[in-house]
Amino acid sequence: MSAKPATSWLGPSSIPVRAGIGLRAEHYDAVLETRPPVGWLEVHSENYFGAGGKPLDYLERIRAHYPLSLHGVGLSVGSTDPLDKLHLTKLKHLIERFEPALVSEHLSWGSAGGRYLNDLLPLPYTQEALYHLVARVSQVQDILGRPILIENVSSYLQYVESSLSEWDFLAELAERAGCGVLLDVNNIYVSARNHGFDPSTYLQAIPRHAVQEIHLAGFTVNRFDDGEILIDTHNRPVYPAVWALYRQAVHRFGPIPTLIEWDSDLPELAVLVGEAQQADAILEERHARAA
Amino acid sequence: MPALHELQRCFVAAVLDGDSDGFEPHVRAAGWSGARRVQVYRNNTRLGLTGALEAVYPVVRRLVGEGFFCYAAAEYIDRHPSRSGDLHEYGGALPEFLESFEPAAGLAYLPDVARLEWSYHQVFHAARHAPLDPQALAKVPAARQGELRFRLHPAARLLESPFPILRIWQGNQEDASQTASVDLSEGGVKLLVFRHETLDIEFQPLQDGEFHLLRAFAEDCDFAAACARAMAAQADFDLPARFCRQVAQGVVTAFDLLDAHFPTTDRGEFP
Repeated sequence: MSAKPATSWLGPSSIPVRAGIGLRAEHYDAVLETRPPVGWLEVHSENYFGAGGKPLDYLERIRAHYPLSLHGVGLSVGSTDPLDKLHLTKLKHLIERFEPALVSEHLSWGSAGGRYLNDLLPLPYTQEALYHLVARVSQVQDILGRPILIENVSSYLQYVESSLSEWDFLAELAERAGCGVLLDVNNIYVSARNHGFDPSTYLQAIPRHAVQEIHLAGFTVNRFDDGEILIDTHNRPVYPAVWALYRQAVHRFGPIPTLIEWDSDLPELAVLVGEAQQADAILEERHARAA
Repeated sequence: MPALHELQRCFVAAVLDGDSDGFEPHVRAAGWSGARRVQVYRNNTRLGLTGALEAVYPVVRRLVGEGFFCYAAAEYIDRHPSRSGDLHEYGGALPEFLESFEPAAGLAYLPDVARLEWSYHQVFHAARHAPLDPQALAKVPAARQGELRFRLHPAARLLESPFPILRIWQGNQEDASQTASVDLSEGGVKLLVFRHETLDIEFQPLQDGEFHLLRAFAEDCDFAAACARAMAAQADFDLPARFCRQVAQGVVTAFDLLDAHFPTTDRGEFP
């Protein structure tokens, strides 16, 4: 395992190559009281956009003990609406205050004409969209003064207009904008099942050096008379098939900081810690093989 | 080929306006029709925004029941689309919406209960603020005290209702074993919603004098006018004691005197 991470006055500053968990309000007290043995924590940036109060107070106390990653869900990077400067300013203040090791957003959009769906909507994978995303990610990185990671999302439709695959689009974006990739292995699996592609193809197309974080989560299967659709619900354990794909990803990319996400129907903290330990075991195997 | 902005405009129209004719031709119909794929996003958006409303308005939800709440939320989402990528900003117009929402007309107190919950939500996320500096106040000459304009803490809100909304709120908390029956004839209430320095939020029922004093401060009246309003509202109002109490508990945080010799005494917000 890596050496003890460097520490600033805020708390540990770098993210170790271990599993972390998503921190949600329901677990604030349990995390402070039990200090679970996870490598790092990730929060949704927008949950700390308030001017003050308990969320920020808890985050400050918890930050003293864990490295932190800020994961945005609302910047709407891929939208053609103007970039929301107030949103970015709040994010920048949060970064200055909490000194996260990683900052990430999604390969998606969320608004048109000023109306927000507050969802992670898929993009058409066209040259026009690629130019747009390269420009927007670059603009965000310039304003924040640091590189960000961009995460692939689960999708339930594809556009007739797409001329590139999602994996080629993401690889090109990372190359041209100089951003990192947050590879969500569950999202690859969900989209692969929904659209009928081979998830291994996706992994093979992403450059080794680009991936700086991996996400794992649970999905829900909605079954109908004429088929099924997988929905990215983050409300249950990681599926065995996703663990298998994760092993493939760790084999290809090497040991990478990995996050267990769980956002609704939250179980006890110990369940998340157990999932993180499973991921740690897979990372350890890879470390051992590399040694 | 349609431009990216045109595809996004059609997507949002399909989800929010139910107008998917313009969008479905752009969806690859592999196995499932475009209409059913759009429906997945319609569900996700409705669930996400309804969830945001439920998080802010748990008491309204409990009062009307889950089914009715989801129905009202769907109508609200139609009329008040989200305007921010931060879901915490969603739902501020629900009290006004409920006032004109015919199916809820039988529950006259519901909009005011919603106002109480939105105030709680705002106070929960408000900035911290340093308390008032008593030494600065002591330096103001007695003859000029009437000109002072006091400011309220960012985590303080004032609410007035002809209904007993505090009792309704208290009787409908998640941990209440059964919904308490509240007699609407017990009358209205004037409230201060305030988050203390400990970050605990308290509802303080106020008498007329204290309520009007603080509301006058919130409306930027000077101290003389605020005192006059308070005394007019309540003849036996113990102004010095009540004013000192609000300074001591941090509700009154600063004052301005429109005078170059007395710049703002505001010791500032902090997150």
